[in-house]
Amino acid sequence: MNACYIKKILVMNIENTQSQMRKGILEFCILSIIRRGEAYPSDIVEEMKSANLHILEGTLYPLLTRLKNSDMLTYRWVESNSGPPRKYFSLTEKGLSFYKELEATWSELANAVHALANKTDSMPDTTNQNPSF
Amino acid sequence: MKKIININFHGRVVPIEETAYDILKQYIESLRKHFANEEGRDEIVNDIENRFAELFSYRLQKGSTCITDDDVNTIITSMGRPEDLEKEDMSQNSATSETNSGAGRQSFSQQQYVPEEPRNLYRAENDKILGGVCAGLAAYLRIDPSIVRIIYALIILGSFGFGFLLYIILWIVLPPKSLAATVRKRLYRNPDSRVIAGVASGMAAYFNIQVWIPRLIFALPLILGIITSIFRNAWFDFDPAPVFFTGGFGGTLFVIYIILWIVLPEATTASEKLEMRGEKVDLESIKNTIKSDLEGLKYRARDVSAEMRERAQEFTKDVKQATQHFASEAAPVARRTGSGIGHVIGVLFKAFFLFIAGIMAFALIMFLIGLLFSGAGAFPFRSYLVSGVWQNFLAWTSLVLFLCIPVIALLTWLIRRIMGVRSRNNYLGYAFGSLWVIGLISFIIFISMLLNNFRTRASMEDELNITQPSTGKIIVRTTEGKVSYYGSDWFGFDWNNNGPFYSLNEDSVMMNTVRVNFTKSQDSNYHVQRVRFSHGNSPAVAKSLASQIQFDIQQKDSFLYLPQGFAITPTQKFRNQQVLIVVEIPVGKRIIMNNSIEDYHWFNINVNRRHSHWDNEGDDYWSDYNPVASDVEYIMTDKGLERTQKIKEGSDEEDNDNTPHEGYRYKGKTDSLKHKKIKDTIKPKATASVINPANAESKKPFLLQKEEWKEISGNSSLKEPGNDSFYSPFNILSKMM
Repeated sequence: MNACYIKKILVMNIENTQSQMRKGILEFCILSIIRRGEAYPSDIVEEMKSANLHILEGTLYPLLTRLKNSDMLTYRWVESNSGPPRKYFSLTEKGLSFYKELEATWSELANAVHALANKTDSMPDTTNQNPSF
Repeated sequence: MKKIININFHGRVVPIEETAYDILKQYIESLRKHFANEEGRDEIVNDIENRFAELFSYRLQKGSTCITDDDVNTIITSMGRPEDLEKEDMSQNSATSETNSGAGRQSFSQQQYVPEEPRNLYRAENDKILGGVCAGLAAYLRIDPSIVRIIYALIILGSFGFGFLLYIILWIVLPPKSLAATVRKRLYRNPDSRVIAGVASGMAAYFNIQVWIPRLIFALPLILGIITSIFRNAWFDFDPAPVFFTGGFGGTLFVIYIILWIVLPEATTASEKLEMRGEKVDLESIKNTIKSDLEGLKYRARDVSAEMRERAQEFTKDVKQATQHFASEAAPVARRTGSGIGHVIGVLFKAFFLFIAGIMAFALIMFLIGLLFSGAGAFPFRSYLVSGVWQNFLAWTSLVLFLCIPVIALLTWLIRRIMGVRSRNNYLGYAFGSLWVIGLISFIIFISMLLNNFRTRASMEDELNITQPSTGKIIVRTTEGKVSYYGSDWFGFDWNNNGPFYSLNEDSVMMNTVRVNFTKSQDSNYHVQRVRFSHGNSPAVAKSLASQIQFDIQQKDSFLYLPQGFAITPTQKFRNQQVLIVVEIPVGKRIIMNNSIEDYHWFNINVNRRHSHWDNEGDDYWSDYNPVASDVEYIMTDKGLERTQKIKEGSDEEDNDNTPHEGYRYKGKTDSLKHKKIKDTIKPKATASVINPANAESKKPFLLQKEEWKEISGNSSLKEPGNDSFYSPFNILSKMM
């Protein structure tokens, strides 16, 4: 039972880290989709799915609302010939500058992560070095 | 086997299995709980519901008959259950997630309250008529923008433009922002179901009531006006002045309608139409609203003070910025503002024309109703005018079709518009139109047939035998008949004894189209000529009708008694029968015309102007006055009639005296000599007292003979109004039936 509990925490932590990682880039991903033009939430989901990034629609809506409420996004109603009118989201100027900052951060981060993750040479051996005090 | 129910889901009717509906309801409720602490909770849930609705409609379009459990579950899976969302969202509260994960998921709903972002006053960029100030205020206060607009419009009206200045200041100062809708129900004008501008039906949608209720309220002054005027007509209190807007009540309603017309936006898109209807008001939503309002209030109170401080500091900066912004915005806004002002002016113009058109339409209805009632009022006279089945038929047709149809059509139209009935075909309109045309044609035919009856005129002339009076003087007067006639109130027209007839009933009509003329006798004897006239559609008919007139003169020494009138029976018909009595007076003999003669009313219908008359004078107008003044003694001289006694007052009369002309007519001022009519005074005593001063003036005592006195006083059994000479609307209606 104890082992099981530990395992559960371990699993949760992995999931948690994964979701944290995803969450960090989610806003950036959404903004980079909307940057290209007005977007409808389910299109965004599709777009992300095609990029092999799975997201629940239920997650997207609160995110979009949050972004909209912080003035990053704006939307307009578009009549649809089938079903109710749709909300199409687009970037505001604030959102665009926000996106650019995120992009810069991301490329830095990606470079750093890439560089770090791809380094195959082993870490310099510290055990043999003498501390120079 | 499952039960399928229809639900109204985001303005769409969705057939759905009852179990699927329960799943959906549960899911939405769980989402609501999940996002309870999210600022835009309602919006998020609304968006998700919207997506559901869209996916449902796709499914239905593909041919599914209804939404099943599987459908709902599939969508829910793609949307994500709250648990799944929680998992994804957990990182947001990374600080607490560690402990949360251990303690279980329930604690998630007990999260601390996340204060909502302090709300600021903005101009609504996405919802504006002029600058979006009102919508911004509404968003700040969390009320319907329309209500703010209505209040603001009233403030502008009340403050004579100061409100507008304030508006412009706010417009410049406030930063624009695209604001999310704060209320889910808004007052719109409904373009789908409108009579004038859709205000009433928008209100009906907002208050969730039947559409005819607000319409009726707005139309009430108009309807009341019509009804009251019908009743006025019915009771002969003829008042042609249209009471269009009955008092201040109607006027206020009209102004309110105009303000609403200007202020309320038209619900054009589907989402606006959804907003117009809003969501169903139930206990849950009321509770939610109150809860969120109370929560908001707590923070608002705190925020307001902080905001004020902040605002004051930033004010100068803001103004600068805002002015720049205003300038940069000027170009696109100018267009929209232009259209906004254009809208206001347009509405005012429309309202003005509506007002004019309304008054004209109303006056038209009133006119028609008036005609209808006078047409019905002419009913008792009908049998004297109309002859034969054919003419009767035409008379009825034109009365019913020509006069009733427009009134009925108008009322029908009004009621149908109020009830919101819309027919795709215009059969009713065509039917009304063609019936009216038939009515018009029959009316024209009827009138021309009637006029045809008056085409020719014939006269019968005969001399009546009289004995020469011993006193050398003749007094012409009417008999005080067994019956006294009153000028009855004849269908709203108060003839006041000036009518061409005394009495009217089914058996006979008493005409008094009689005239008395005086002329010089060729020999030394008095002569009396009687000329009877009648119109008719042929000379023979006219002649026979003229000969049927019973008008016999009685003589008692110097008194010449003329009947008060002559009777026409329905079989004789009214063909403008007239009687002319010509009294020939030898030179040196005297004549007195009693003022009872003045109760005769010469009345001439002249259809055909070409033919000449025996006596042209007085034919062209109602000659209510006689050539000689009544109750004054005249003497026939070579030059004509002259007064035996000069009148002291009034030199005008003397001038006229000295210049008698053909027919011995006093051209002017004869009215001033007219005495009060005997007929008007009911009491015999009064009659005597009227006569006496006149006689005293002429210094010839006018003696009433004893029998005459008796005759007059025996007359006191006066005819009461309400007998057959009085026509009540019920009387008429009962006769018409």
